[in-house]
Amino acid sequence: MVVPLISIILLCPLAAFAFFGLLSLTGRNYSRQDLVSTAAMLIAAICSFLLLPQITSHPEPISIPWIEIDQIKLSMGFYFDSVTAVMLLVVTIVSSLVHIFSIGYMHGDPRYPRFFAFLSLFSFSMLFLVVSDNLLGIYIGWELVGLCSYLLIGFWFEKDSAADACKKAFLTTRVGDVGMFVGMMMLFTKFHTFALYGDGGIFAAVANLGSGDIVWLSIAGVLIFCGAIGKSAQVPLHTWLPDAMEGPTPVSALIHAATMVAAGVYLTARMFPILTPDSSLTIAYVGGITAIVAATIAIVRFDIKRVLAYSTISQLGYMMLGIGAGSYVAGLFHLTTHAFFKALLFLGSGSVIHALAVHNGSHGDEHDHESEHHDADHGDTEHHDDAGFDSHGIPAEQDMRHMGGLRKKMPITFLTMLIATLSISGVPFVFSGFWSKDAILAGVLDRAMAWDSVHYYILFIIALGAAGITAFYMFRLIFMTFFGKPRNREMYDHAHESPGSMAIPLIILAVLSFPIVNTWSFNPWSFDKHVKAPKQPHVHAPAHASEERPVLYALAGASNAHAAEDAGHGAHDAAHDHHAHSPAHTIAMVLSIIVASFGILLSYLFYHRKVFSAEGAASRLRPLYNLCWGKYYFDEFYNGVIVALSVAWAGFLRVFDLRVIDGIVNLVGFITRAVVAAFTGWFDNKFVDGLVNWVAQITWSVGGRIRRIQTGAIQNYLLIVLGGVVLLILIFRRYL
Amino acid sequence: MLLTLMIFVPLIGMVVVLCLPRNSEETIKRTTLVFTLIPLILGVILLAGYDRGSEEHQYAVDVVWIEAFDIHYHIGIDGLSVTLLLLTVLLGPICVIASWRNIEKGIKAYMALFLLLETGMIGFFAALDLFLFYVFFELTLLPMYFLIGIWGGPRREYAAIKFFLYTLFGSVLMLIAMIAVYLKGETFDIPTLITLAQQDGHALANPVFQIWVFLGFFIGFAVKVPIFPFHTWLPDAHVEAPTAISVILAAILLKMGTYGLIRVNFAMLPEGMAFFTDPEAAVKLGRSATWGYGLAILGFINIVYGSFCALAQTDFKKLVAYSSIGHMGFVILGLAARNESGVTGAILQMFNHGVISAMLFLLVGVVYDRAHHREINGFGGLGSKMPIYTGITTLAFMASLGLPGLSGFVGEALALLGAYSKYQVLTILSTIGIVVGAAYFLWTLQRVFLGKLNPKYEGISEINGREILTLVPLGILTILFGVCPSLLISMFNQAVRLLPLVP
Repeated sequence: MVVPLISIILLCPLAAFAFFGLLSLTGRNYSRQDLVSTAAMLIAAICSFLLLPQITSHPEPISIPWIEIDQIKLSMGFYFDSVTAVMLLVVTIVSSLVHIFSIGYMHGDPRYPRFFAFLSLFSFSMLFLVVSDNLLGIYIGWELVGLCSYLLIGFWFEKDSAADACKKAFLTTRVGDVGMFVGMMMLFTKFHTFALYGDGGIFAAVANLGSGDIVWLSIAGVLIFCGAIGKSAQVPLHTWLPDAMEGPTPVSALIHAATMVAAGVYLTARMFPILTPDSSLTIAYVGGITAIVAATIAIVRFDIKRVLAYSTISQLGYMMLGIGAGSYVAGLFHLTTHAFFKALLFLGSGSVIHALAVHNGSHGDEHDHESEHHDADHGDTEHHDDAGFDSHGIPAEQDMRHMGGLRKKMPITFLTMLIATLSISGVPFVFSGFWSKDAILAGVLDRAMAWDSVHYYILFIIALGAAGITAFYMFRLIFMTFFGKPRNREMYDHAHESPGSMAIPLIILAVLSFPIVNTWSFNPWSFDKHVKAPKQPHVHAPAHASEERPVLYALAGASNAHAAEDAGHGAHDAAHDHHAHSPAHTIAMVLSIIVASFGILLSYLFYHRKVFSAEGAASRLRPLYNLCWGKYYFDEFYNGVIVALSVAWAGFLRVFDLRVIDGIVNLVGFITRAVVAAFTGWFDNKFVDGLVNWVAQITWSVGGRIRRIQTGAIQNYLLIVLGGVVLLILIFRRYL
Repeated sequence: MLLTLMIFVPLIGMVVVLCLPRNSEETIKRTTLVFTLIPLILGVILLAGYDRGSEEHQYAVDVVWIEAFDIHYHIGIDGLSVTLLLLTVLLGPICVIASWRNIEKGIKAYMALFLLLETGMIGFFAALDLFLFYVFFELTLLPMYFLIGIWGGPRREYAAIKFFLYTLFGSVLMLIAMIAVYLKGETFDIPTLITLAQQDGHALANPVFQIWVFLGFFIGFAVKVPIFPFHTWLPDAHVEAPTAISVILAAILLKMGTYGLIRVNFAMLPEGMAFFTDPEAAVKLGRSATWGYGLAILGFINIVYGSFCALAQTDFKKLVAYSSIGHMGFVILGLAARNESGVTGAILQMFNHGVISAMLFLLVGVVYDRAHHREINGFGGLGSKMPIYTGITTLAFMASLGLPGLSGFVGEALALLGAYSKYQVLTILSTIGIVVGAAYFLWTLQRVFLGKLNPKYEGISEINGREILTLVPLGILTILFGVCPSLLISMFNQAVRLLPLVP
């Protein structure tokens, strides 16, 4: 059953895209492409659910040969384990909901069918990535989702900012991808396969490596991780993701929050068995730094989508940190919970933007909201200006400074976004984000204590700090958007709750933000049975065997494993029990609750009660504020140094090619002609006049215009050649 | 017989076209189309009868041609040639259709020369006699010279003569090498020479001799590929040549260079090849190990140099021309690896680059016919007026920049994989070309198609049915061989196995 179901899951969205593509060649579009694509996605979602009972504890990869040359055997295939099952569910559910949301959101767009076709292509690529059993397949899906991301960020390509953003996204991620490809070449050269699982797979081979290869393996692991740095927008390749917000908001929700950017985390998790302590630590540091850097940038943004974009980067950093700390399951768990609540936040922000933007056009003409801002040149141009209310190029309907008090106008959007915010902020027990974040924090602290590692203690503090900041800026968003008095009366008056097709996905996603639903006590999340963190190479013996323990504390305790499964819905309770097991866990949980409360409280005081003034705080912390406002100047560095140098170097080579290389060619030509001309003049007259005339006559009749092409020259050259050849044959005869 | 027919049908077509009255343009075009379609049909028949597992040359014909020098009319195909042969016959009609409207003067001579060119190309890939090989090689030169020189752009004379002289310079060296081989081997028969060159003690097997001969052939082919620093004729020739001729130039003529490298340098001169691809072999001969990196270094330079030069171009066609230089670098790098993966990648890349670059030049032609210029910065926002054209261009660009799932990826990836096992550092450095490749294509995409519509092109018309017809077969191949590269690989796998590989 696995193969046919996965095939259906893949083929449905692919067929929906192919339908559009073929029809396009004839210059037509089917106006109800939305229904085609959405139906395809819903079928895929249903199949993903049907796959749940098929999970086995020791799945075998199912593959067919793709390229077979004697020694090189590349295959393509599926690997279906519980992680695949979860990813399939996440992708198909979020994608279906985004499809439905888009029916309302994109209504009336001139390229409406194309949008859905691209969504279908994306869904196919992402699903292909997820089910692949080998690195090459993952890489193929990886690049294809990148293409879709490019196409969808640039969906409103008339906007210069969108055109810039899509190019930037593709190129930045490609830098990471090249690193990944080099890593793949290293592995392939050593193991002669891209297959990950099974007896001949990379993981089996890695387990047998000698300790002499540990450095080599660390390098390979980090190189593969480079792909994830690009795709999951980790520092230092994170700069494309905020700009990617130029795409339509449903795209931001699906690709740039829930699924594609999480593919990096998925890849890192899949590669877990080859991650050495050194590569793990590198990953943990990249993740930790990303978490804190992005969080600090998010604090000072005013564009609602950019706040969410930096928040996404920060959360992805969290997941990476989790995996880097060996908390494999925690990282994946956070991926899942984050997919739902972040998709919800983006769709919610889309709902807000949609509501506010409508007033710009005539009523009923809802289509042009974001694309109306063709002229707005945002993107990299958010310049800091203290004059307070310069728009910095942020479209008005995305600028939180224009919002306020919207909760009364948009209760559904408000409530659902509030749930997501409580979840991401780590409000304890009731919301899924708390559990997954806590699992990561606990995992980091656990490793710090187990290995007595200063690095992981530092990372734990960083993660804790980022958690507090997250709570702060997320509530800042809620307070600025939904509370207080309306700051832009005109916009406020026209705001309205979004139509059903947009509200329903919000509600479903809100429901999915509760752990009762999200920790699925049914099959895929019975991790105790199926998902164990795979063994890593040459890991130091952990003090209390943390590697052996199923790490999904929040879901099901190891000791209660079978009880949890038997009880079906009892997993959640089991999770509670389990917290007592590890001191790291209790400490992490208490601390995370404290920092979250502190962040929320501070946000409340700043942005709701206005006890403190944000502007005042900004001016007191001017250098720090500037750094965050300037996004740590990564963009300036890249544009000013990397891009500028590359373009300059290219320009230099162009001139070099034209002047030097070609110059030499022309010079040689010139000299040859001068020397040869004297000789041929003589040769021509004396010997081959007749022949030349004959050749000339032929060319005359063929071309008619041949006289303009350096009359006679060709024949001369040919004759020289002929003479030379005769001479050479004579020489050869003599001396060889 | 089938193969002979394939070679000479276009030549018959040329005679027929020449007999037609000058002013019956439609008849001339239709006749040419028929005479290019016949080889295509023959090609399909040939493909149907082609045995993928055979080690022999298929459809072989071997009759004495010039007895005095033991020159044979020996033709036949194997895995190395079959893909390129089929590509040639496929592009024949496509180019005729592409020339349907935009050749304004002298259509008769143009079509006649084009048919002659096709005979030369088909013959070149089929030839198994070194002399015949050379004759067909030169036979492509003259029509090409006139096609660029007469129907080209403003600087056509300069470009044509540069192309001609450059190639001639190379082919003279090739001729010398050929004669040297003949004098040692006393035959022009390529399969025989290959056997002789591997016999211990035979004069042909002498490493020093092979190195010198290798160089002669190599420079001849390097000009064609083109390999840095012999490449500067290419941008000029491409920019000046009419669309269909650019297509042939990029898709087939460049491949003649790499095909020659495999057929002659690789297969026939293993010792020479070893000297330039194996540091140890170079040391063994008392030379610096650097020689052993020679070919790989050239491949690397082509990739990176071509890509960066492309990045700096503002002429659409020149950009595509430099991108070809970069992509041919992957072929060289793959060949330098001399292992299965590398050589398979190289041959794949040859075919796929043929398809993709043909698409690219056709696409440039489409916009040039409408805007009458090719200045990348002079467009802008065409995406909103020409969605189909934009879509096809995006497909071709993505294929060219090596997006997995499209055909450009597989060849590049296999070539790099093969090269990595021999030249780690050079291969890693070559991946810079992948990033730069994406950069110049995406930048071009942005400057031409994205952003606000340039008001000058408010009335620009969408790509028409005839143009789509030329692009669709190539687009299908791009996707097909991206998804199922084994369809293609199985055609030449056997031939690769017979090459002197070093695992």
